[in-house]
Amino acid sequence: MRLFGLETEYGITRDDLEEVDPVVESMELVRAHLTASFERRWDYAGEDPHEDARGFRVSGLAQDKEEDEFAKLDAHRPFSFHEMKSDLVLPNGARFYNDHTHPEYSTPECRRLKDLLAQDRAGERIIQRAADRRNQSLGGEYVQLYKNNTDFHGHSYGCHDNYLALRSIPFPQLTAGLLPFLVSRQVIAGSGKVGIEAQESGVVPGGFQLSQRADFMETDLSVDTMHNRPILNTRDEPHADPKTYRRLHLIIGDANMCEYATALKVGTTQLVLDLIERGAAPSLELEQPVTAVKQLSRDIDLKAAVRRQNGQTITALDIQEQYYRAAEHTLAGLDEESDWILKEWGETLRLLAQDRHALVGKLDWITKLWLLETFMREERIGWDDPWLASLDLAYHNVHPARGLYLGLEAEGKAWRMTTEADVERALSAGPSDTRGGLRGLCIRRFPTQIRAMQWERIQFTGGLMPRTLEMGDLFEPADVRACAELFETADSPLDALKAWNGRKDTGS
Amino acid sequence: MKHIVMPERREGPVDPMPKPSGPTEEGGGPKRPDTGSPDKDSLLKRMRKVDPKQAERYRQRTGE
Repeated sequence: MRLFGLETEYGITRDDLEEVDPVVESMELVRAHLTASFERRWDYAGEDPHEDARGFRVSGLAQDKEEDEFAKLDAHRPFSFHEMKSDLVLPNGARFYNDHTHPEYSTPECRRLKDLLAQDRAGERIIQRAADRRNQSLGGEYVQLYKNNTDFHGHSYGCHDNYLALRSIPFPQLTAGLLPFLVSRQVIAGSGKVGIEAQESGVVPGGFQLSQRADFMETDLSVDTMHNRPILNTRDEPHADPKTYRRLHLIIGDANMCEYATALKVGTTQLVLDLIERGAAPSLELEQPVTAVKQLSRDIDLKAAVRRQNGQTITALDIQEQYYRAAEHTLAGLDEESDWILKEWGETLRLLAQDRHALVGKLDWITKLWLLETFMREERIGWDDPWLASLDLAYHNVHPARGLYLGLEAEGKAWRMTTEADVERALSAGPSDTRGGLRGLCIRRFPTQIRAMQWERIQFTGGLMPRTLEMGDLFEPADVRACAELFETADSPLDALKAWNGRKDTGS
Repeated sequence: MKHIVMPERREGPVDPMPKPSGPTEEGGGPKRPDTGSPDKDSLLKRMRKVDPKQAERYRQRTGE
């Protein structure tokens, strides 16, 4: 399987304050997690969100002006840039920091869905434990955290899914293959939302739609992520050898509470990437993808048909069915995990058409709708009642005693794909077959000898020159394990680095 | 069209996901809901505790 990972920005608020400063709250939350051995400065060198995968560099982003305004305000705060970002790299290789006033947890790179689910759930635990510590210092359970994507007033924040892809695949080929799939993926991966919003400009309360993010999609392709949001983000930050790889950075997805939905969201997307790499993706160009995203999201009966460029129309389920059939035809038997994805993808599409109630506890939008409709019957209220938006929000609360999804899970009505033992392991270590696990190992073994870190390298202290472990092309599991063994057993990181470089030089 | 496979795919078959159809195993997934409604003694109680104005007060800055 290819490498993939999730970045999740959480919503944060304080129940005891009329006005909440999200910069301070996000910073304090992350720092509540801080222990001496964890703090590492993230190395921002090499990160450039202005690089566009279409082959050029933009001079500015739509958010730059707003970011500059915030930067002016932040300059008056008694914190340095690094204090505000509070970048932590955790012993499991994950990154936990304050990003654009939201606490963000980025999983370490994974190559198996089970690892990704465990790391995603570990993120929920880590962020809630930070809130517990913060609340302890505040003297009450005031800080609340939400794994969702909207504030119901036109402000959205993301859950991005990332995939390592080959740069040899022309970007237009990726675009053509992915757009129809992403427009329709929400029937499986949507988290459901009460009401309709527009970017920072208004909200229509009531009603229910499949996706939290659909309202915020404004264009097919763009390098932007905060304004003018695209269905397919073109940011070109590979975090790997740029000659060989690109990172597909998808910002259209919702944050999922259901493990099954997360597994299918990432699993089906990587199968579609496999199809594109083999030239086997269906050709389904849509006439207006942005309109289609919103149209499909607002049709919970899944009957809406969107226009194709050839003049025909097609439903979301039919789009998904065509991708599924192509994947089944081309990729069946590839490996066990791919076969699992194919089986569950096909079954989910069948149930969406014939018996969606069977997907309660598996797909978020169906689970949330089921909860809300039950509540409406019990309380004899309609879709115009503002209580429903609050219940929508509460569905995503990651406090085990408050979150509605977590309550459902505790009742045994949500499908678990991980065990508690899986999550416990993911709290302390990353996958053993990816550089994410290697990153975590270095944090655990040599916490005081790391100068800086980023996704593709680790700089160690010692000697006159910085010593760097380059991981931009360290993807073969056997190589990762061999390198990890050296860092596991060496007396110092420099000894391990010397042995690793010697091994690479001799080609052994 | 030349078929291109990601290099890490060369690894042998991986463990399959736990089967969701195995509800009795830990982590294998619970049984499909069979009552047609959430548990009225606990989950609906939890839902009723939610402040109806919580979403109205909830404000975030735009993120990514």
